[in-house]
Amino acid sequence: MTENKIPLIETIDLKKDFNDLQVLKGISEKIYQGEVVCIIGPSGGGKSTFLRCLNMLEVPTSGEVRFKGEKLDPKDTDIDEHRQKIGMVFQQFNVFPHLSVLDNITLAPILKKKLSKETAEKRAMELLKQVGLEDKANEYPRKLSGGQKQRLAIVRAMAMDPEVMLFDEPTSALDPEMVKGVLEVIQQLTDTGMTCVIVTHEMGFARKVADRIIFIDEGIVAEEGTPEEFFNHPKNPRTKEFLSQVL
Amino acid sequence: MGPSLIDVLIEYWPIFLKGTLGTLRFAFIAVFFGSILGAFVAFARLSKNAILSRCASIYADILRGTPLLVQMYIAYFFIPIVFPVLNKVDKEVYVLISLILNSSAYVSEIVRSGINSVDVGQSEAARSLGLNASETMKKIILPQAIKNILPALANEYIAMIKETSMAGTFMLYELMYTRTILANKYLSWQPLLIIAGIYLLLTLVLTALVKKLEERLAVSD
Repeated sequence: MTENKIPLIETIDLKKDFNDLQVLKGISEKIYQGEVVCIIGPSGGGKSTFLRCLNMLEVPTSGEVRFKGEKLDPKDTDIDEHRQKIGMVFQQFNVFPHLSVLDNITLAPILKKKLSKETAEKRAMELLKQVGLEDKANEYPRKLSGGQKQRLAIVRAMAMDPEVMLFDEPTSALDPEMVKGVLEVIQQLTDTGMTCVIVTHEMGFARKVADRIIFIDEGIVAEEGTPEEFFNHPKNPRTKEFLSQVL
Repeated sequence: MGPSLIDVLIEYWPIFLKGTLGTLRFAFIAVFFGSILGAFVAFARLSKNAILSRCASIYADILRGTPLLVQMYIAYFFIPIVFPVLNKVDKEVYVLISLILNSSAYVSEIVRSGINSVDVGQSEAARSLGLNASETMKKIILPQAIKNILPALANEYIAMIKETSMAGTFMLYELMYTRTILANKYLSWQPLLIIAGIYLLLTLVLTALVKKLEERLAVSD
């Protein structure tokens, strides 16, 4: 990745406190277009908070997040425009239970991108086909398994044609037998060149899909590098300790 | 002892019917307009604007923290003094206003807790798709909150049926007022028992209906 290109997402000395607890202690990172970045680290280390700051779901206490060079401001109405380009997938899926599978997907494109219902539904059906849910289009989410809900959530975010996808522990709330299907869908995305930032505990997956691993511990980036460097030649003692516990 | 309950009921049923309809009507008006007003109060309480939120909270605290009868007296005596323009308005309206305001305070709490009952992940998901705050409220939060709000609103209506009995004090023609009418006919205990019976019947039937409604809403979860 060339340094003279404008990063898709850049954080500058990002800090976040929850009351007295300092969760992020100053993180400066650049994520470039086409990159797949996996964020790993111990629970409570700040991974999810960092990810949630990238689309301002969590408002930083200090520091900046820039999207294509523009500073994100949660109070600015532009934030909704920016968020349309930053897809997000949550640990708890957060599909909309009162809407059918199809309406879950078409809601935002119709509302925000002013697509016709017909166009939005056609596109939604294409996306559902890609993740093997086309026969569920008219079902309500309560009829779906956890894995299917998460695939729906991914497709819902994709329907906005985002420029980057954020995944917040996308498989942590799934039954073990559902994990593979969801990871396959994410890998389909990374294969197409979609920029992805993935907080995950799936080390094998991170190793396989990531261009870069960021290890966040106690609110700072304790180590980062290619999967090969990170998993085979960790430098930081904290990384070594963490890896010895999870691998 | 005088005439029996059956005799009184047969002779004066039109009065009791008119009283019952009056009670249902006043309760409906109070809860209907109280709901509209209460929804605004709830939004104000949930607002990020600290002053607005505080004002709404004080409003609800005052109306829920003082007896309705006191509020009615205050409305009855003070509205004409403070707003002389309204002097020509039927005094019934003042009593109705106090019922509406009182109901709005309770409804605001119902709406607020209904909105808060929707998982925060729902609004995060909506916002992450680029929906703004009001779109998120309209399309995602309220449709889910309504399931919790509707049965509670129906219960508020049932409670209000009993509360309106105080309006009889101000000569509004509702169920309790029939007692005053029939007292002029030297009937003392019979109207009271009949009135109590009608209130009980109304609340029992409506409570059963609300239960049905709750069950139906629960099925769609």
